[in-house]
Amino acid sequence: MVAFLGGCPMRKMGLALAFATAVPLSGCVQTRQFADLQFTPPQGDYKLLVLRPDVSVGSLTTGGMVDPRADWTDQARANIIAALRAQQAARGGKVQILEHRNQVPGVTEQEAADFERLFSAVGNSIVLHKYLGDYLPTKRGKGLEYTLGEDAVRLGQKSGYDYALFLHAEDSVASTGRVALGVLGLAGCFVGFCAPNVGGSSQLDYAGLVDLKTGEVVWFNVVQAGSQVPGISFGDLRTPQGSAQMVERLLGRMKPGLAVRRAAAESH
Amino acid sequence: MCVCCPEVSRRSLLIGGAAAAAALTTGVAQARVLPRDMVPLVGPGYRPTEKDEQGIWQLMDRAEEEISGSNLLITDPKLTGYLRDIIGRVGGPAAKDFRIYLAHIPDFNAMMFPTGFAVVFSGLLLRMRNEAQLAGVIAHESGHFLRRHMIRSWRDQKRKTDIFAIAAMAAGVGGAAGGVYLGDYVQLAQLGTILSLFQYSRAMEAEADAMGAKNMADAGYAPIEMANIWEQLIGEETASARYRRKRRRRGSLFDTHPSEGSRMVDLRADAAEVTVPGRQYETGRERYLARIGAIRPMLLDDQVKLNDPGASQYLIETLAQDGWNGLLRFYEGEVWRLRNRHGDDLRAAQSYAAAVAYPDAPADAWRWHAISLMKAGRTGEARIAFTRYLTMKPDASDAAWVRQMIG
Repeated sequence: MVAFLGGCPMRKMGLALAFATAVPLSGCVQTRQFADLQFTPPQGDYKLLVLRPDVSVGSLTTGGMVDPRADWTDQARANIIAALRAQQAARGGKVQILEHRNQVPGVTEQEAADFERLFSAVGNSIVLHKYLGDYLPTKRGKGLEYTLGEDAVRLGQKSGYDYALFLHAEDSVASTGRVALGVLGLAGCFVGFCAPNVGGSSQLDYAGLVDLKTGEVVWFNVVQAGSQVPGISFGDLRTPQGSAQMVERLLGRMKPGLAVRRAAAESH
Repeated sequence: MCVCCPEVSRRSLLIGGAAAAAALTTGVAQARVLPRDMVPLVGPGYRPTEKDEQGIWQLMDRAEEEISGSNLLITDPKLTGYLRDIIGRVGGPAAKDFRIYLAHIPDFNAMMFPTGFAVVFSGLLLRMRNEAQLAGVIAHESGHFLRRHMIRSWRDQKRKTDIFAIAAMAAGVGGAAGGVYLGDYVQLAQLGTILSLFQYSRAMEAEADAMGAKNMADAGYAPIEMANIWEQLIGEETASARYRRKRRRRGSLFDTHPSEGSRMVDLRADAAEVTVPGRQYETGRERYLARIGAIRPMLLDDQVKLNDPGASQYLIETLAQDGWNGLLRFYEGEVWRLRNRHGDDLRAAQSYAAAVAYPDAPADAWRWHAISLMKAGRTGEARIAFTRYLTMKPDASDAAWVRQMIG
């Protein structure tokens, strides 16, 4: 974007960047989920609407910038959708995965867009206050206490779905140059300048589940994967295996809310 | 990391390096880009063919989807059609490919995205005095696309950060092997890299100005109007700063755009260069006012509520150079009333009184005129003014109160 007077309001990028620096990159995969206290993972005969997955894959340049790649992104999105279908089929619900905003039955494109934007705003809040360290004392011990309000309930009534799932995935793959830079840093260890950890590929995925009966965000999960040493990979979204692994990490182990787990523990 | 640092004078190193970094950026004063050298780098229906540009286009298509559906947009087809007509005139070979959106944001700005869609802020429409000025800004933005600035600067950034990363690593490893600490040099190189990124950005703004001047003159708009925009902007910023008892911010090495003063001077020279003797150039003032007339009250209302009386007053006076009217006098009064310093109520009252003398005075001018008269104890005249207000706005939200005041 080239502004007439300068200044670029790219908030989303800023958030992703803050995320990348706040969560320590330890060369491993971290996941952390939050759920509404009363949350029970959907089972049996439910109808799930998956909003258009927000996917971006880029190449990490030698200098550390992420070069977006259209072909990789398309490939990764197709893989993720296929993996989602396979994973949800095993759970027994009826699933529709949107590719365009105009595919929600009974809902206009504009309403679907507004719903996505509302979730994006609420999702950013969740990330900020539950993951980035800016914790709110009033939300402590209450699980996940966020809602999309009446608009989500109306969307559920119009479309006939029980749940809506949002999914975000961004992946940057270390380029050959970046890997070479890490190798040079590693070589430096022999002469006393040891810097192999310049930062390599990294992945940030998150998903949120909204109960369309109540409008509440009932479950949220973040998967952060990254390696400080370029050249080490951990599931490449461009491959079907990597995408399946990501979907499994993100959605595979949906835990019930705290109150539900306590009640289950007491009844045993 | 290396901890053995030999005795190198840090001061001499820093001074030498700073000089080197300064030499990299000759700063604000750089040679003028000539409009005749500005050849469009894209043709009609341009699509990217290389991977990195395709990646950016895909991201930007998503951005456009969000922006085009934003509830901040003004979607009045009369206005958006007008903007489209203008970009169709000054957009060069890509004229038919551009999309242009009008955002309801009371700031002086416009931006071009790398895929060829532009966003114009409503604050721009308030500040432009004629169609040629608006066309100048749009031509400048089109220039960014025609000269492929986004992808060029992206590649430039990639190249420079790559070189820096390799050089920094090589300096560390090489320095450690040779037993010298090169950390200071690395820091200077980093500064140099950052400064040269900003310089590339300024050079491209200068290109867009030159390309814009050429295209607007080709379309028959008076090219000098583009230089006048900067004169107005400098005046506005100075007035705004004076009210806040501060000085206008001056250019620095980290500016992404050339200073307004240098842009104004260069654009004057550009205007002289692109003007063909004997050809008629228009400003399109009448057409401009006819097209934006309907939203001008809204634009002025946004502006006076920014709590920036210096800028608001300057803007109103600048617009009034083309003739005072009821609308401008009313908002002049609003600036004083909202500022509310000692004596401002009287200044506001004078403006409202002046406003209602014009046939185009808005209903609210009569309302505030009536209130001012009431305060001054001139109840008889106030009743007449209130009555006039109710005639113009019978279903005003405060109609019941006004009727009671009339008695």
